[in-house]
Amino acid sequence: MKVFETRGLKKSFQEFSALKGVDIHVNEGELFGLIGPNGSGKTTFFNCVTGTLKCSGGNVFFRGKDITNKGPDAIYKMGIGRTFQLIEMFPRMTVLDNMLLAIQESQGSMFGRLLTMNEDGNVKRALDLLGFLKISHLRDEYSKNLSYGQQKLLDFGMVLMTNPKLILLDEPTCGVEAEMRQELMNYIRDLNKQGHTIIVIEHNMDVVMNLCTRIAVLDAGEKIAEGTPEEIQNNAQVIEAYFGTEEDEEC
Amino acid sequence: MIEQLLIKGLSLGAIYAMIAIGFCLLWQSSRLVNFAEGEFVTIPAFLMVFFYSVLKLPFAPAIIAAIIVSAFLLGFVMKKTLVDALIARGNTPFVVTTIALGFLVRDSLTVFATPEALHFPSMIPQTPLQFGGAMFSSLDLWNIFVAAVVIVCLHLFIRKTKQGKALQAVAQNREAAGIMGIDVQKMILMAFVINAVLVAFSASLAAPIYMVKYDMGNELGLKAFYAAIIGGFNQVKGALLGGLLVGLIEIFTAAYISTQYKSGFVLIVLIAVILFKPEGILGTKEQL
Repeated sequence: MKVFETRGLKKSFQEFSALKGVDIHVNEGELFGLIGPNGSGKTTFFNCVTGTLKCSGGNVFFRGKDITNKGPDAIYKMGIGRTFQLIEMFPRMTVLDNMLLAIQESQGSMFGRLLTMNEDGNVKRALDLLGFLKISHLRDEYSKNLSYGQQKLLDFGMVLMTNPKLILLDEPTCGVEAEMRQELMNYIRDLNKQGHTIIVIEHNMDVVMNLCTRIAVLDAGEKIAEGTPEEIQNNAQVIEAYFGTEEDEEC
Repeated sequence: MIEQLLIKGLSLGAIYAMIAIGFCLLWQSSRLVNFAEGEFVTIPAFLMVFFYSVLKLPFAPAIIAAIIVSAFLLGFVMKKTLVDALIARGNTPFVVTTIALGFLVRDSLTVFATPEALHFPSMIPQTPLQFGGAMFSSLDLWNIFVAAVVIVCLHLFIRKTKQGKALQAVAQNREAAGIMGIDVQKMILMAFVINAVLVAFSASLAAPIYMVKYDMGNELGLKAFYAAIIGGFNQVKGALLGGLLVGLIEIFTAAYISTQYKSGFVLIVLIAVILFKPEGILGTKEQL
């Protein structure tokens, strides 16, 4: 069953077309990979889907509902969470506060939150996740003082706080040390086994080929291929557009 | 003598600080500077006179009614009209519009209300107090007390409550805040309402001192703007420090040099801060 779908998704920045009518669908419980050379439109795709950018054309559907151009806060509350390629968090707030912020808007009404503080249950969940990510010792540190890899882990932890139905991961293992990278991959697999639908943008081919069951390839804003990892690896158009131009690119 | 000047300076600075914190909150949440902030002090002052002297409400209900109406007019209506219409165009159109709004408010009050100064009583009786060799008014202590209570409540709200943290999140990273489910527009509305309450409180303190007049906000708005720049436009604690500093500079200059130079010395400090620490004493650098 399709849980997420884009039909003819377009995004233009004045003369430049970043997405030229992208059709992608993701089935419930799938671990889907989105790859492509730099500038192919992967992050723009995520930005349009999550409401950060307004789409220039086409539609986005989530669980059968048209969510095209809805605000990012509304899309988040529907159950789509994402991480960022470049770190996006609240630099002058502690790691724990960052984690708690990720969940508080999904609970209660605005007036209900007006004079209330975070509940113990949320704090426990945040600490459990920080423990899993091995950064619980940094709970009281301002997030701006964390290393790049630690910020990446915090970003990942923040998305997991709300237990979203669809998780969009924008290069989740980039800048993370090898051991933690393997753990993150295992955790992504576990989340997927628990029923979460996940879309991953990833530059590391080992990660995406081992992790994903189906992959789509973007090139210059167009989808040029879609299939299993084996099919993608053997696709001549993909090899020319992606593997042929950028060998083993490190982020 | 110095204790006396300190208390008077802090009393004046407390009024500036509340308005400066309003500037700071609006900037942090919406990246807008409200150049009608002075008139935002004048309006609640006139409302207080209207409720107290015209409608003959008892004193405390008159002040509370003025604060509530101000929160609605200067918070909710302001956000839903000018802010919503202009925020997507950036700060400059908003600045120009609020300068015009300031003229409109002043001239409208002159034409439709009165150009005369109106009396409004203070919340507590004005009695001279003596502490050691220092002579000051009970109003000075009252101003410091009210501002301290308001600012501490605001601080606790921002630091401790969920909605306060959401406001901080919008100030630090508006895009990510939206992605985390925070309704940024509602946070901006909340900042405008808080600003309206802050200026209404400062109006209640300023009205007995300055008298209620159509242009009473000119000086207050301008000095609070300087205060926010001196202390740090993007830090509440900076705006607080800036407000108190401006009050102290004015009172000490008036006492030791001349009342005519009190604004001039504030401007010297302002220029020095812009030259040597443009982000303000406690402010943080921002990327534009």
